[in-house]
Amino acid sequence: MQEWFIHPVVQGAIMPFLAGLIASAFLAPLRLGGLAAVAGFATAVYLVVGFEFSPMTTIRKVMLLGLIAPVIGVAADFAFKPTRYTAPLLALSCGAVSIWVFLALLQQRELAQAVLLGGGVAAYVAWLVGFMVTLRDDSIRAGAASLGLGLGTGVAAVLAASATLGLYAMALGSASGAFLLVQMLAGRRFFAGIAFTLTAGLLAGLLGAASYHLAQLPWHALPVMALLPLAARLPVPAKWPVAGQAVAISGVTLALAAVSCFLVWQASRGSPG
Amino acid sequence: MRKILIGSMLAAAAPMGVAAPESYTLDPHHTFVHFGVDHNGFSTIWGRFDRSSGKFTFDRQAGSVVLEVIVETASVTTGDSARGNRPRSRDEHLRSPDFFNATEFPRMTYKSRNAKLNGDVPVEIQGELTLLGVTRPVTLAVDRWKCAPHPVTRRPICGGNAIGGLKRSEFGMKWGIPATGDDVMIRVTFEALKD
Repeated sequence: MQEWFIHPVVQGAIMPFLAGLIASAFLAPLRLGGLAAVAGFATAVYLVVGFEFSPMTTIRKVMLLGLIAPVIGVAADFAFKPTRYTAPLLALSCGAVSIWVFLALLQQRELAQAVLLGGGVAAYVAWLVGFMVTLRDDSIRAGAASLGLGLGTGVAAVLAASATLGLYAMALGSASGAFLLVQMLAGRRFFAGIAFTLTAGLLAGLLGAASYHLAQLPWHALPVMALLPLAARLPVPAKWPVAGQAVAISGVTLALAAVSCFLVWQASRGSPG
Repeated sequence: MRKILIGSMLAAAAPMGVAAPESYTLDPHHTFVHFGVDHNGFSTIWGRFDRSSGKFTFDRQAGSVVLEVIVETASVTTGDSARGNRPRSRDEHLRSPDFFNATEFPRMTYKSRNAKLNGDVPVEIQGELTLLGVTRPVTLAVDRWKCAPHPVTRRPICGGNAIGGLKRSEFGMKWGIPATGDDVMIRVTFEALKD
């Protein structure tokens, strides 16, 4: 049994998928089905390295924020009425927080390079969070975007030499797939909310940026990944069944994620740089 | 006249009786930190760090050794640096956050102020290793030690080997356990030139 739990596929895909499935199915009636994202991520963290936050390394900061994001999301979903400023505000906040996440790395660089890299990371995270949060009222589009972001970032991170970051991101993708699957089987949409979209956007952004900074992810894979929340807005006929809409939109987001992974794979050809 | 004579004799005798602490700098071309770890229960994979630096002060009179070694984690090599058909080599993987996280933690350090000596030969170094931001005690047994003039340059030099071990999980390096072993064997081979 122990051997089963240490297998990477179990840690990064199967168990997070099951956690996402359970969270989606049982919490959806409470409008908390969006917690599927953090359920999958937390499951992977528990299985891969466990919950340790000292010393506070870059990856542990990502872990911590991944656990805090849904708390903020649930509070925002239930305590505040979202306005048109909600997404930009959360995007800017998450962009600023990403600087804290990568501060130890940025401090090792020359000022100009640190500003460029820090700005790039903040922009990437803010972009993903901002556009993901705007999908909060459409759980199919939000789920499809998170599915593509999670699996795409995960495979890209593994190709870039970090299995840990890869498994965390794949866990997000697997749990998002479970969130979609439950809706497809139920034949109706659930409430995704900020709890789901903030968690997915922030984790995908930070894990992608971490794969660039700490592993060997080529930077040009990230702009392709950033297109996913936009691609999830693909118009599909409203009269289509939920399952049909989910398959169509996920097909587009996964195709874009595959393009990003191809760029990472292509960059890995040849001698180590 | 008698006082001057006695004073001169004492002054001349002092250096013979009270040896001053000697400071040595590790020779990076002849100092390497090697490590060995179990791989899937089949074999032991050995690797080493190609770049390290450090100093130690050896006080024979006080029987003490003060040591500091800095190892550059990005210099890790296990003889597998070519990617072949894989996206990344094992050495690249070792530099990633799964193992040494070399971008965030470019150096690991070993510091010691405690050593056990047998006569004027160190036999055990008790120090603290800082790896991935975690500091824990690591003891090294010195199984070879020699100080003598260099055969060519005649410059005083000390060299030797030391062995030890650690559990990498205690430093937060948990990826791949138990397939890639938790117990890490350490072998340090060093030569140091007197300052």
